[in-house]
Order: sequence, then C-alpha cells, then structure tokens
Amino acid sequence: MALQGIEKISRRDFLRNGMVFGAGAVGLAAGYAAVPDVFARAVYAAKRDGATNDRILVMIQLAGGNDGLGTVMPLGDGTLRSLRPTLGRVADNALPLGGGYGLNASLKGIKALYDQGKVAIVNGVGYPKPSFSHFDSIRVWETGDPTRRQQDGWLGKTIEKNYDSAGHPLVGCACGSTGVPGALADLQATLTVVNNQRQFAFDGGDMRDRAMGALYRSTPGMYGALFDTSVATARDTMAKLRTAAASYVPKAKYDDNVRLVYSSKNQLASALQLAAELIVSGTGAKILHVTLGGFDTHQQQAARQDQLLAYLDSAASAFYQDLAGYGMSDRVLIATWSEFGRRPRENANGGTDHGTASPVMLIGDTVKGGLYGESPSLTALDATGNLKYAVDFRAVYQEILDSHLGVDPREVIPATYDRVPFIGKRAAS
Amino acid sequence: MGSDRDRKSIKPSRRAVLTASLSAAVGVAVARLAGLRAFDERIAGIEAQKLLGLRPSAPGAPVAVDMAGAPESMPAAIGALAPELPLPATPMLPRPGAAIPPTLAVSGDASVAAPGASARPLPAARQPDAVTGGAIRGASYDWDSPLGSESARVAQLLRRATFGATDAELERALSDGYARTVDRLVETPFADPPPLAGADDANQTKPLQVQALQSWWLDAMQTSPTPFGERMTLFWHGHFTSDYRKVGLQSPFMYWQNQTFRRQGLGDLKTMLMSVTTDPAMLRYLDLGISTGRNPNENYARELMELYSLGVDRFSEDDVRAAAKALAGWREPRTQAMVDALNARAKPGAMPAVADPGKSGVFDRARAFSGTLTYLGKTGSFDTEAVIDRILAQDATAPFVVRRVLAQFVHRTPADALVDRLAARFRAARYDLKSLMRDVFTSPELSSPESYRALVKSPIEFMVSVAKALGTTPQLTRAISGASSGMGQVLFDPPSVGGWPRNEAWVSSNTVVARANFVTQAIGQTRTLPAGVDAYKRHLDGVVGPATAELLTNATDDRSRWSVVLSSAEFQLK
Repeated sequence: MALQGIEKISRRDFLRNGMVFGAGAVGLAAGYAAVPDVFARAVYAAKRDGATNDRILVMIQLAGGNDGLGTVMPLGDGTLRSLRPTLGRVADNALPLGGGYGLNASLKGIKALYDQGKVAIVNGVGYPKPSFSHFDSIRVWETGDPTRRQQDGWLGKTIEKNYDSAGHPLVGCACGSTGVPGALADLQATLTVVNNQRQFAFDGGDMRDRAMGALYRSTPGMYGALFDTSVATARDTMAKLRTAAASYVPKAKYDDNVRLVYSSKNQLASALQLAAELIVSGTGAKILHVTLGGFDTHQQQAARQDQLLAYLDSAASAFYQDLAGYGMSDRVLIATWSEFGRRPRENANGGTDHGTASPVMLIGDTVKGGLYGESPSLTALDATGNLKYAVDFRAVYQEILDSHLGVDPREVIPATYDRVPFIGKRAAS
Repeated sequence: MGSDRDRKSIKPSRRAVLTASLSAAVGVAVARLAGLRAFDERIAGIEAQKLLGLRPSAPGAPVAVDMAGAPESMPAAIGALAPELPLPATPMLPRPGAAIPPTLAVSGDASVAAPGASARPLPAARQPDAVTGGAIRGASYDWDSPLGSESARVAQLLRRATFGATDAELERALSDGYARTVDRLVETPFADPPPLAGADDANQTKPLQVQALQSWWLDAMQTSPTPFGERMTLFWHGHFTSDYRKVGLQSPFMYWQNQTFRRQGLGDLKTMLMSVTTDPAMLRYLDLGISTGRNPNENYARELMELYSLGVDRFSEDDVRAAAKALAGWREPRTQAMVDALNARAKPGAMPAVADPGKSGVFDRARAFSGTLTYLGKTGSFDTEAVIDRILAQDATAPFVVRRVLAQFVHRTPADALVDRLAARFRAARYDLKSLMRDVFTSPELSSPESYRALVKSPIEFMVSVAKALGTTPQLTRAISGASSGMGQVLFDPPSVGGWPRNEAWVSSNTVVARANFVTQAIGQTRTLPAGVDAYKRHLDGVVGPATAELLTNATDDRSRWSVVLSSAEFQLK
C-alpha cells in the first residue's frame, strides 16, 4: 500500500521491458570491454551445463599470516627452542604426527581426522621472492601469480573456465562476508556473497522485491553491470536459500567463540554452517570461501594463536562431521591458506613478525592423509632470517584443481609443478 | 501509450536513451518503454542512426580512462549556471560531434534531464588499478554528465567533500556558487563535535561504550556545521587505521585518535605523520608502544611506509628493520582516571602509578635506540622526526598519498597525469593538506564527464546521505550504526590495517540487499517525509537510468518515490 506506485509498475510486464532493454544491450554487447556480467549467463549457457562431477572446494583463509612453526612444528629440531625461547614451548604439548612433527595442541579435531587418514599437511609452502606485505602477499595467493600481473582470483578463474553459472548463482560464494574476496574476484558480479542467510531478503515483501529486481536493470556507467547483476544474483540466491533452509538441519554442533569472533571479526563457525547448508541442500555450490582473521600476532602470540587454532579446529571439525552426517564428506575438500608464515625468531613481545613459508592443511575424504613437502630448515634461513620455501603454493592449487575438482589446472595456473599427490581419490573428469 | 499529463514523466539519462534507440533500430518499438514515453521519437531515429555508426571498443581490449585529456569542452561549460534553483534542468552542453538540436530539452516537461553529450563508448573496464589492484566491467553507455552546469557541480562537490546535503545545505551552496563553496569548505576550521560524556576519563572500571562512540561520531557527520571535517576524519580513519578491538576501550585512545584526525585533518602531512606515530591508539594498534631499540617490533615501521606514506615495494626489508629501531622508545600515556583505576586495584604497598600530562605517546630515551643506521639510503642517527623527514624526502610519498585521496574524491583510477600534477604541487606546498584538497576540488578532472558517478559511496557515506536527504538528522543514528556491519563498514573497526576497500568493492549481492533494506527502514522511521516529486532532481541531478525513470514515473506517492530514489544505483554513486 505504501509502495503503491511500485505495485503499479510491478504489474506491468517487466519481462517485456526486460527483453527490450535486453535486445538493446545485446546489440551493444560488442561495446563491452570484457565479458560482461549481464551477458555472462548467455556465455556460460553456451558452455557446459554445470559440472561434470560432484566435487566441491571450500577454502578457509587464515588472514593476518598464520605462524606455521606454531601450527606444525619440527619436534626434534633444537634450533626451534633457541630461536623461540618462549613460543617454542608450544611444542611441549604438540600432538605427534609422526616423522618428527607435531601439531598444535589446539587442533585436536583435525588430529583425529589426521589419524583417520583424512588430513594432508603440506609443509613449507611459499613462493619465490616473498612479499612481507599482508596485502601484496594476499594478492599473490589470491591470483596465483607472484609476479603480480594477474588481476583475477584463481577461484574465480576456475569458475569462469569450468562451470555454468546460469541459474546457479551459488556456484561461487563467499560465506559470512560482505564483500567479494580477491580469490573469487574474477566473477565479481556473478558470484554470491552471503553475510547472514537469515537476513538475506528484501524487507518489504514481494512488491519491494520485484521493484528491486527492476531498479538496476540497464544501469548506465562503469558500475552499471555490477549493480544489475548484483541484484539479479541476490534475488536468485534468495530463491535458492529459501528452498535450502527448508531442507537443512545441521548434523553437528557449530559454536562461534564469541570472544574470538570479537578479535577476528569473522564468525567462522556460522560461515561454515552456511557453507554446509549450501552444499547439502543442493544449491549448486562448487567453490566456497570463508575467512578467519586475527593471525597477525606481533605480540603475545602463544595464547592468541592457540585460541584461533582451537576455533578453527572446532569449526572445521563440525563442518566435516556435518557433511559426513549427510554422506557428503567424500566430495568436499577443505583447504586452509594464509598469506605468509611468520619469522622463526620470536620478538621481544612474545610475538613474531612477518615471515614466509608455512604449511597448508587439506581435509576431506578425497585426501590421501599424511605429510607432504618438507619443513624448511631452521638453520639455513634466508638473508631476512626467514624460512626458504619447499613447495610452491601453485603446486598445491594444481593438485586441488587437477585431482580434486577434475578440471584442467593449466587454464588457471599456466606453469606445471611437480605433483604433490595429496588427493587420493581423483575426480572423474 | 499516450503521455499521461497527470504524472511527470522522467527522462532517463541520455545514453540510457541511446540504448533504447538501438532497440528501436533492431526492431523493437521504443515507445513500449514506459519510462521513455516522453521520448521524442524523431530524435530517437536520429540517435539510432548515429549510434549505429558508433565504434564500439573491441571485446577484451583494455581502454584507459584518460582523464587529463577529457575535458576539452569544459571551459565553455564551466560557469554555465542554470537560472533556476535548486537543481534546474541540465543546460545543453554541446560537445564535439554531438549533432543534437538545442531545443531537445523542451519536450513538454521542463523538469526533465536534458541530454547533452554525444554518444561516447564508455572507456570501460580492465584498466589496471594502481590503487585497488582491481578491475571492473562496465556498461557500454555512460551517464549523461550534467557537470557542465554549475549547480550540478555544486551538488557533486557536496556528495564528495561531505555526506550529501540537507535541503538547507544544498540551497546555501547553490546560492554561494562553486568557488565560494570550495572556499568555505576548505577555509572554515573544522568544528569539534560536542564532547562525548565520560570519554576522556575512560578507564578499566568505566570503559568507553563502542555504541556511544559510534553514535557520537555519526551524530557529528549528520549535524556538524563543517561536514567536510567529518568526511576528512573518516578518510584519515580509513587511511591511518586503528580498531577498537585491539586498542581496547579501557582508555580514551580511540576517542582521542578521532579528534586528532579532525584537528590535523587539513594541516600538513608531516604534522599528521608525527601525530599518528605517537598517537596512543596507534601505539597500541601497531605495537610501537612496546617496541624498544634493543628489541624492535616491526609492525608499525612496516605499515607506516607501506600503507601510510610510501606504498609497497618502495622500501627494503632493511629499511623496515632500521625504521623499527629508529622509532622505538615510545609508550602509551596514562590519564589520571586510568591511573586511579589501576591504583585502586593495586596490591597494598605497591608503588602508585603516576599519570602523564599529554594526550600523546611518552618518549623514554632509555628504551630507544642510540646509534647509527642506514635508512632509505641515508646513514646517520635517526629519531622519529628524522624518520618522517626521510619518508617525506622520497619521491614516492606525495603521489602515493595523492592517489589515495583521488580514489575517494575524484575517480577510482585517477590518471597518472592528474596524480603527478597534484603531487608536485602538494610537495611544493610542503605537504599542505588544505592546498591539496583545494587543488582536488578545483581540478578540471573532477568535473569531467569521466568523473561523473565514478565513485561508489561507502556504506557510512550512503547512510548519512540518506538521513540528510530525508531531513532526519540525527534521528537515524541508531539505524545507521545497526546496519553498518551488514554493509561492511563499522566505525572504529576497519577490517584490517589496510582500511576499508573502495568503490566497486562496496557492491555485491549481499550489500545491495543490505542497502535496500536500510532505505526501507529509514523511510519507515521518518515521520514526515519531504516532498518526493523533486527528489530525483535534488539528489540524482535529474540524471537517471531507464529503470529508475520508469519506476519513478509510475510512483504515485512520496514513500514510493523516496524508496526508488534512495535505493537507486544513482544514489549509491557520488
């Protein structure tokens, strides 16, 4: 009633008008400088209809630079204690992994999965000429390009090259976020960002929903297509979420640690629960991204990292159990990443400064559990006092793409790396 | 579909019209478009022909926005002040190649936005962005820039330099004109908001309340007599980041930092960098307050150079280590209230703590580094001021800061020529920020067509501008602070040390929903809505896209009109 005018307009034949503008827009398609979001649907429709297998990837970003030596530690290396008089003590309680390595005691759930052969740990992952800037190094990991030439995210590129997003707005989704993470950024306007699924609807009922659906159509200007497809994607996502919410009941207990959410700003457990909801309710989700922040531990690292890892552990474990309860853990790979590890020598504030290589954890039933790569030497540090990496992070991406998702990695990562065979059950391709 | 005399028909932006014209050319009747009913079909035919001769850019071809070269027709246009107030119809702005009859604007409705420019393929997409590293994809037709008219330039200035405008603010600026408004913005000393009760005495037992702190600032953004000061404060808050989560609330530090940004906001960069380096909240946030010459903590030293002044790759790891040593020795100050709270909890017989007099860091020579260092190519002894001076002596500093400013006030990817020109003047003016902002606001690039709607309002800018448009300042403060996290911008809590993202990063499927819902909430909380018929002229320059035009044309009451105007893409841009 209040939106009478909009009601009136919504009774009009929007579809017809949409076709009119659509025709104009298609006529102008050549004027778009890149594959435009509005036409992405048509472009993708001309590609394969959806994925050829049921594999799903969930990336967990540990933002701020997670200390690798406090996560997976070489227990037998006496140098660790001398470089880290206080922080080295975390090794006292480490959970033994075999091979002389130990896992941070906070990662109990992940250790239990490791013992079942469902966790691979790749040690010493990094890249040449490392950047010590958070943002620069995040970009390197996001684009898969240490030369900083690429703009597109490696996950976004994977979607663009391989999946049909027509009618599948959730093929790529950033869960628990308000913006698009750089790793997914290639398809900025065709992927979905859902901060909180309970609030993901237009207030004001159907009239408002339809009006918003019409309002950004054919918006001019450099941001026009972004608005147009953002709202279209939002409405498609709402429709998916409505049916998804009806068929999903979590089969594990997700607990957000309020105190840690406070310091990390990301509700990891909620985000992973949303990811589980999208996966088990058949929304077409293929590549999901979540973030846990707070790892920039320049001071008082021991307590903080322990808490953050415990939070990661409980959220990731619940997520795995939830998927397992639905019989879907055999198709989902969980992978962690962080822009860099930290300096081997602790600083005077019980913290560590920015460093280089660190381990990557991969969790899921497709994984062939165990330790991969090698922990960099603590005695042969580089000129900046940092670890020399053993495994290029692109080799990890390559294995994820090739063996887990069953797509051609060369379309995303041009060079080929020695295989790190942490995926035991290869996808059908 | 005849014209409806009872309702105003609103014309879409020129290039929106051109899109429709092409539809006509490909055989779809343009007259079916409700939003284009008033469109002159004779012109449509002309334009369609013109359009077909338009050379589109090749798919995938990078097209640079050459802002410096753009405004060649501008001198004639500037000063073409339209007679009517508040926002008159856009005057004609003929540009080379535009074969548009000057009478076009009059099509039975004096209120419509008149088209002006020639069809121009938008320099869209994949330009490398030195500021954000991002690239976006654009439509192939652009807004019809009204910036040839002084009134539109004034309205744009208020959107960029402040948080939009109340009716009274807009009318005053329009009657002053552009030049006098710039003078007033940059020359009027920024007013301090009324003090936040208890904030100066925040301590362990009586901490700051973050909600109160946010409301205090949001109130100021909405009601300050010098809203440019609040805008600059927000700019610096996103540049020299600190967040209350790490800094904590058991001190006045976050409150003080906000005041420092306002008081130093238009001073000079050296004073600002000195103030920020010794700012108590910053000492805590980036750990300089616990760094010593013997055991330097690199956190602040690195971000001072990478994020605050020089930019990445403009210094070496050795420079980080050297700066960390040179800057060490500061500690946080303690107020009487903080000391009292500490002493009340101290064990009996313990040495009572003593308060510090000032509101900035305390330098302790015993904890500092003494000795010789090599820093940014120079060897000698460095104290904090010497470090800052060395940074200011680098060629990279002025362009870096200028680019950050331009990306929020002029264009998401400012042209190198503009950056270099303003940077040279900035450095020559001894890094005077007032001169810089005057240069920004008087640069021809700001009023070039490429700059029109070239920036996305941040969530806070958007919500405050909604409140101002609706005349509900500051009644919406609570709603604004409640909605801010869903849009990704919580005051005193930037997401990382890099501050908030910019422009296209604010637009996602998530945020379009959050913004639309805020509009619904704001309208719902507004008891008496201002008249909505002219809202699109006052707040959208009368330049609207086809969908906005159609929805507005069909809106029959003020709630619907405001809902369309404030939710529109046009209003999200500035």
